Amino acid sequence: MGVSVLGIGVCGFTPTSTGLSYREMIAKAAKMAYSEAGITLDDIDGAVSCEEDLISGYSIADEYTPDQLGVVRKPVYTITGDFLHGLASAVMQIQTGQYDVLVVEAYSKASNILTKDEVLRFGYDPVYNRFGVSPHYLAGIEMRSFLEESGYTFADVAQVVVANRKAAVSNPLAPWGATYTLADVVESRPIATPVTELMIAKPADGAVVCVIGSDKAAASFGRKRIRIAGTGWGSGTSVLERRDHAVSLGTAIAAGMAYRDAGITKPTEQIDAFFVSDLYAHRQLMHLDALQLCGCCPATVNPNGGALGGGDLYEATGGARFYEAVCQVRGEAGACQVNAGRVLVHGWRGLPTDSCAVAILEAEGR
Amino acid sequence: MSRKVACIGVGMTRFVRRAHESPGELAAQAVEMALRDAGMSIDEIDSVCLGTAPDAFDGVHMKGEHLIAGAGGSRKPYMRHFVGGGTGVFSPIHGWMHVASGRFDTCLVVCEEKMSPCNPHPAGAFVTIFDRVTEQPLKLTLIHIFALEMRRFMHVYGYNEKEIAQVSVNHKRNALGHPAAQIAQEITVDDVMNSPVLSWPVKRLDISPTSDAAVAIVLASERVARARKPAPVWIEGVGFRLDTAYWCSRDLAYPNYVAMAAQDAYKMAGVVDPARDIDVFEPYDPFDYKALHHMNGLLLDKTGMKVKDLLFKGAFERTGSHPMCPSGGALGVGNPISATGLMKIAELYFQLSGQAGERQIQKPLRRGVTQAWGDLMQVGTVVVMGSDGAAPNTKSLWNGLKAEDLPGTAIKSVDDVPNIPDSPDLRYAWDNGVGISTYLDGLRHGRIRGSFCTRTSRMLIPPRTFSEIGNLDPVSGTFDLADTGTVMTYTVSHVDWDSSPLPKGKVNIFAVIAIDGAGDHTGLVHLLRDVDPKDVKVGMRVKAVWKKEADRTGSILDICHFVPLKGRDTPATPRRIKAPEQTVLTAGQTPGRIPLTYRYTAGVAGSRFYKDLAAGKVTASVTGDGGLMVPPAIFDEETMSMLEPGKVKPLEGGSGFIRSWTAVHEDRSGHPLDAPAVIVQVEFPGVRGSVFGRLALRDGEAPSEGYPVELVKAKATSPDQVTFRLKA
Repeated sequence: MGVSVLGIGVCGFTPTSTGLSYREMIAKAAKMAYSEAGITLDDIDGAVSCEEDLISGYSIADEYTPDQLGVVRKPVYTITGDFLHGLASAVMQIQTGQYDVLVVEAYSKASNILTKDEVLRFGYDPVYNRFGVSPHYLAGIEMRSFLEESGYTFADVAQVVVANRKAAVSNPLAPWGATYTLADVVESRPIATPVTELMIAKPADGAVVCVIGSDKAAASFGRKRIRIAGTGWGSGTSVLERRDHAVSLGTAIAAGMAYRDAGITKPTEQIDAFFVSDLYAHRQLMHLDALQLCGCCPATVNPNGGALGGGDLYEATGGARFYEAVCQVRGEAGACQVNAGRVLVHGWRGLPTDSCAVAILEAEGR
Repeated sequence: MSRKVACIGVGMTRFVRRAHESPGELAAQAVEMALRDAGMSIDEIDSVCLGTAPDAFDGVHMKGEHLIAGAGGSRKPYMRHFVGGGTGVFSPIHGWMHVASGRFDTCLVVCEEKMSPCNPHPAGAFVTIFDRVTEQPLKLTLIHIFALEMRRFMHVYGYNEKEIAQVSVNHKRNALGHPAAQIAQEITVDDVMNSPVLSWPVKRLDISPTSDAAVAIVLASERVARARKPAPVWIEGVGFRLDTAYWCSRDLAYPNYVAMAAQDAYKMAGVVDPARDIDVFEPYDPFDYKALHHMNGLLLDKTGMKVKDLLFKGAFERTGSHPMCPSGGALGVGNPISATGLMKIAELYFQLSGQAGERQIQKPLRRGVTQAWGDLMQVGTVVVMGSDGAAPNTKSLWNGLKAEDLPGTAIKSVDDVPNIPDSPDLRYAWDNGVGISTYLDGLRHGRIRGSFCTRTSRMLIPPRTFSEIGNLDPVSGTFDLADTGTVMTYTVSHVDWDSSPLPKGKVNIFAVIAIDGAGDHTGLVHLLRDVDPKDVKVGMRVKAVWKKEADRTGSILDICHFVPLKGRDTPATPRRIKAPEQTVLTAGQTPGRIPLTYRYTAGVAGSRFYKDLAAGKVTASVTGDGGLMVPPAIFDEETMSMLEPGKVKPLEGGSGFIRSWTAVHEDRSGHPLDAPAVIVQVEFPGVRGSVFGRLALRDGEAPSEGYPVELVKAKATSPDQVTFRLKA
């Protein structure tokens, strides 16, 4: 069964969003998405939110999801994953044949979290891995393993930062556009060697709400509908001691699923643009390897600036990339526009995980 | 059209107050057993989904990620979902989506909850389920809102405490036949009535316990199920509904969200009359009244007459016409939240396939329904399961199973095993936004404010900028309301937010108050004072007592409390006001903090690791194929097989070498360190895995990949005590 994007809305993306509660921010994105899809609340069969308790600051954060989406008393559940995980779950839900129109939502109020590193540290295993130092330590371990195994250099990683921050200058929704040199990146403050401050995406606030629908729904609703040609998700082990930190197994599993769905055998030839998680700069290169995209044209990777330019929006990070990808496929990406008839969006849950998700989008009728 | 989906295997640990095992170990034990019951290996599992409720219990942010290995999700499509306390029954629904969609042939569904690490008490984790601005300052906890709901339920449906207590008696007795049961016992209604009052009308024996446990089931497509099991049990219908988070604006007596979820499930399953078409019921019963509350929803009976009649006739007993919670339910087996719901799914699987042993209902069973509930009393998750008449599986793993056959190790105190304390510094500054800022501005001026939704003609408290029940359209106006109202329900509480007793003689009376001019079910929760608890009544008229104007700060605590309304009772009419224009400067922030601390057991394998480390050595577990693995483990996540705890091999402490390393320049909070700390990943030749630790450097030393290192004896149980030094 085919599933399409019928409408999408965003609010943000900004370093702070003082003056708007998370509810008000999400409601703005929802109104935009519903308006674009041409639906009323009665047309919605259910919703999937993507949240983590300690990012939202609530225990059992899913309590606070239905009102601002207008889905009170509808089938609603929460995925503690990236927006792309929620999207993949919603696609499955439609493919059961019991639902036609679903909403996927994720948001970030990163600016409201005063102790971000403490929250991140709390994600590590308390018995073996929760040290009294910066939780970015694992990025240092990873990057060193990756450089040693892959043949990439420190300068290659720095170049990711330079390229993405520069691309974001042309993206009006990206808060962290900047023009840096390689030296700026290399010489920025060391956090966990070899990772420097500029190699880590900075936080941002924002909300993404997307309406997806079955073929039946797509016959009635939507503006410039986009087909979700494939989805996939996967995880490497949670045992850090037994994970190969030089590769992203989670990405490889997710890509394998999505490629099978979409009939992709040669991704560099069959896909036009790639939105790939770069929460840490070295991870973009690691993910590209796992996506079998070695040798793809650099200009086709994160043309809107990625998370390094657009911000770390926690669970909404993949959602922001998804929105950019939808704009690209529609030909509405402004100064960031590239040739994008079929695009790949990739999300990673950030440290200390290797949990990833992939979606492949293509213009209707392609 | 959905594909048919069946349950073909179940595994579970014992339900215990405090488990020695780590969360991952509990999950792995349940998974290994479920795979064994299904006759499958982990390689035959296409996908894994995990259900677990708040991160605050286990004490790990992104708990789903933490549990990947234990749940068998390494190298698989793996996803965690949750809907609070409704998670356990939503989990098979999410698993059903995986298979019914045609995406996968098999899905391993795992639910785990380890509540015991949370200090001072797992109940404390519930303080942050409430709205952070309008409710958390009142220091509510879950037991308070349960009690508020129970009182309302009693008022509307005319139950007394003794009648409700019979449910607790039945369920605890039913649990006597359940091998995983934590508090199965033979008690009387008088025992319940005489147990300590926690938050009237809730008494100790009205409540299920806090628990640690894991449950796993294997779901499969029809093709796989029929090839594997003589009596697969089918998921015939599913439903889940989530109501508004504004719980003081809801009818608390009848769970509309459960009834709607049930209707969805019944429609899918072809159930027309649930009282006639369903043979066995497993409603969620964290409190005794909840079973009846939910049965009203499951039987689609808003009058409550059917359920009352069945209860009084004894029809809910295991031998009755409508057996309810033959497992023993949360009240008898225990309540590790998400795992409880999946235990109930397992019970339907057992009952409908003739594997329930001494709990087996003796009448022919064709179809059962189970349900869970949670969040802010707002979510209903419902699954209808059915057999297809195959011969009962009387020779199963589960028939005749005893408690000692189940994994899971109860400990009396965390001090009995190696353990690790932690106090995370989790602080926030919440943007109030325009709606809540308007509310707080009103409170500062001694006014309760609401906003009006024209589309539904309802007043909304607290005010919002949009109406969640009115197509998200902007509200049509802001109003100052009366500060008087009517008590809709109340509780007389003897416990504080963290479950600790209030000082002797002190009680807190919490009430849901319908504010005058806002409708019967729109109001707020607050304290009642200056009234004898015996004199409080549903329907009582009350009035707010405000702090002095100079002391008000724009907080729900600007209302000191409510008191009985005396004298003239002429409520003020709502008065439209020009909404204060909120800007980024006036729409302020509210500080927040999660006030919890933790003590984690090191787990079975972790205890071994730290015991060895104290002696300056590392021990490797021997895996099924004779290989070695560090850190030691009780299971191998690649095969999901259990490892013999005693089958280990000591490694030469000085045989490790640096696989990777990093010099860390910031502390755990992001502040610069005086000198960088070096963290190393150390591998051992011929051994799978590695050990993470600190590297102690002497003057002039520098780390590099491949450099040999040796262990330093650890002085305490803590990752920060795992220390290596470069080998000379």
